[in-house]
Amino acid sequence: MNCFVVANPDKCIGCRTCEIACVVAHSDKSLFTAGTAEVEFNPRLKVIKTATVSAPIQCRHCENAPCANVCPVGAITNKGNSIQVDPAACVGCKTCMLACPFGAIDLVSEYYEGEKCLQEGLKISQGAGLCAKDRIIANKCDLCVDRPGGPACIEVCPTAAFQLVKNDNMANSIQAKRKQSVTELSILRNRR
Amino acid sequence: MSVDLGIIKIDQELCTGCRRCAEICPVNAIEGNQGEPQTINVERCVVCGQCVQKCSAYAAAFEEGITSRDVKLVERGMLTSVKEPLFAAYNVGHAKVVKDGLANPTLFKVVQSAPAVRVAIAEEFGLPLGSLTPGKMAAALHSLGFDKVYDTNFTADLTIMEEGSELIERVTKGGTLPMFTSCCPAWVKFVEQAYPELIPHLSSCKSPQQMAGVVFKTYGAKINNIEPARVFSVSIMPCTCKKFECDRPEMNDSGFKDVDVVLTTRELANLIKDAGIDFNSLPEREFDAPLGTYSGAGTIFGATGGVMEAALRTAYELITKQPIPDVDVKIARGGEGVRRTTVQVGDLELKVVIVSGLKHVVPVLEEIKAGKADFHFMEVMTCPVGCVSGGGQPKVLLETEKETAHQNRTAATYEHDAKLALRKSHENPDIKKIYDEFLGEPLGHESHHLLHTKYTARKG
Repeated sequence: MNCFVVANPDKCIGCRTCEIACVVAHSDKSLFTAGTAEVEFNPRLKVIKTATVSAPIQCRHCENAPCANVCPVGAITNKGNSIQVDPAACVGCKTCMLACPFGAIDLVSEYYEGEKCLQEGLKISQGAGLCAKDRIIANKCDLCVDRPGGPACIEVCPTAAFQLVKNDNMANSIQAKRKQSVTELSILRNRR
Repeated sequence: MSVDLGIIKIDQELCTGCRRCAEICPVNAIEGNQGEPQTINVERCVVCGQCVQKCSAYAAAFEEGITSRDVKLVERGMLTSVKEPLFAAYNVGHAKVVKDGLANPTLFKVVQSAPAVRVAIAEEFGLPLGSLTPGKMAAALHSLGFDKVYDTNFTADLTIMEEGSELIERVTKGGTLPMFTSCCPAWVKFVEQAYPELIPHLSSCKSPQQMAGVVFKTYGAKINNIEPARVFSVSIMPCTCKKFECDRPEMNDSGFKDVDVVLTTRELANLIKDAGIDFNSLPEREFDAPLGTYSGAGTIFGATGGVMEAALRTAYELITKQPIPDVDVKIARGGEGVRRTTVQVGDLELKVVIVSGLKHVVPVLEEIKAGKADFHFMEVMTCPVGCVSGGGQPKVLLETEKETAHQNRTAATYEHDAKLALRKSHENPDIKKIYDEFLGEPLGHESHHLLHTKYTARKG
């Protein structure tokens, strides 16, 4: 089964440190100070705050991923235990963004070595002339697959609000809940 | 002239109310409910800017329903070319004022940079945390159009001459003890508002920034043959509270506002980027003599314990007339909150206390009020490990990187000191020269008039 990261809204204080950790983890430059962060500031998770609750929202790595099922160019695949976007194949059609039930996908400018990638053919028509257009691609949580320590958001959260949901810990938790349920059933039986 | 207390602000549209800034605020100046935008109590605030360093609530590039980025940049006094993300907690900036001043041909532009700026500014240009770049920084300041690139490190040496002499006088002639250092403006504001009864303990010495300000518009104007009124004096500081300090109404002993504008390390980086200067490939340049000549003692002011160590290097030799056995006074180095130690200076057992992080000072001040303090000299720095960790320094985005940044900047500071030919303030030839030609002697008439100050009780 695919893994995913989820945050507990009761613990989240809305500080957005996870977003910053996400940006730093996915930057190809050493980017630790805000002054150098003019390059790429596109977190792959988003802290949402309402009057009553705050929590980051990110990709659930769905087993029947709607984003992958609607992608016209097959840019989204199930790799290892996660759903991954191939930036090279993405055409920026935004269908995945519409299909995602969580709002976990953004469309952002693609970067290479700190510079925005420009398109070969497509240009923006402006007044009398043409100017270059950025390449725009789908951007979402990749579970920090290339990062030795695992997802950066989990690591930096000051209130430890995050949890990495994996096969084994999910199995344990389900098992524990089933045991709890059976105990409750036995209480019912004794009352009868 | 009134002092603007509103230097540190919290953007009500961006603050998420996580209150992590309130946790690190040393004076409980950040007010508000959890989950709601916070406000700053300017009477309590010591303008240290640690909240600015901590804040992680930022405006994304295309955030909708809030004031546009361009408007926010202007509101914050930032250059419109700035591309970094904007965070909820910020300091009001003055880069535009300096840019306009530099473009004014009638002004004689002088600049000073604090010791901690040269170990951090390169981080803004993608170099590793704590890179030591005094030569590139001086080159960038020359390229920006300053007529003289002087240095706060020179007046840090001057501070040691005055403050060291003041300490010796207080110890030998029975003045108020323990004496407190007075170079950290946030610490000074804290004493004035929370412990006004202890004001006599503060050294009467101005901070190195303000000594530089007054020297540039008097002696500096004289040696450059310039009308003092034409001098535009800019200071680059790792500190947000230096903006408050330069606005204090008494800081005009030159006959003018001694320091015209203060920029933080980050604001200088923005100005360098705005001017299209490629910092990393600049050939290194020197600071201008004589007001840019400095010793290692001047440069270690940037780290906690540095003022103490610099003072001990000089006081030892002035008192004993002997060279200090080891110029590296390692017992003064650390950064663990409160450090107490004793130094044998001739017949005198000098007891000293070094405090890093303002919240650690309160128990020590209570000890003094209760008459239980037995030490002679106390250094206090408001920021966690001294000025290298100041509120105006490059903002380290991840908490996990912060410690590395502080360690590397501190290590670079001591490395710089170790490699300089001059290590002791009283051996700086241009310090000797300014006393010979202009000031007379430490604590003398002219020094007293220009380099010393008075404090104001602020308890309401």
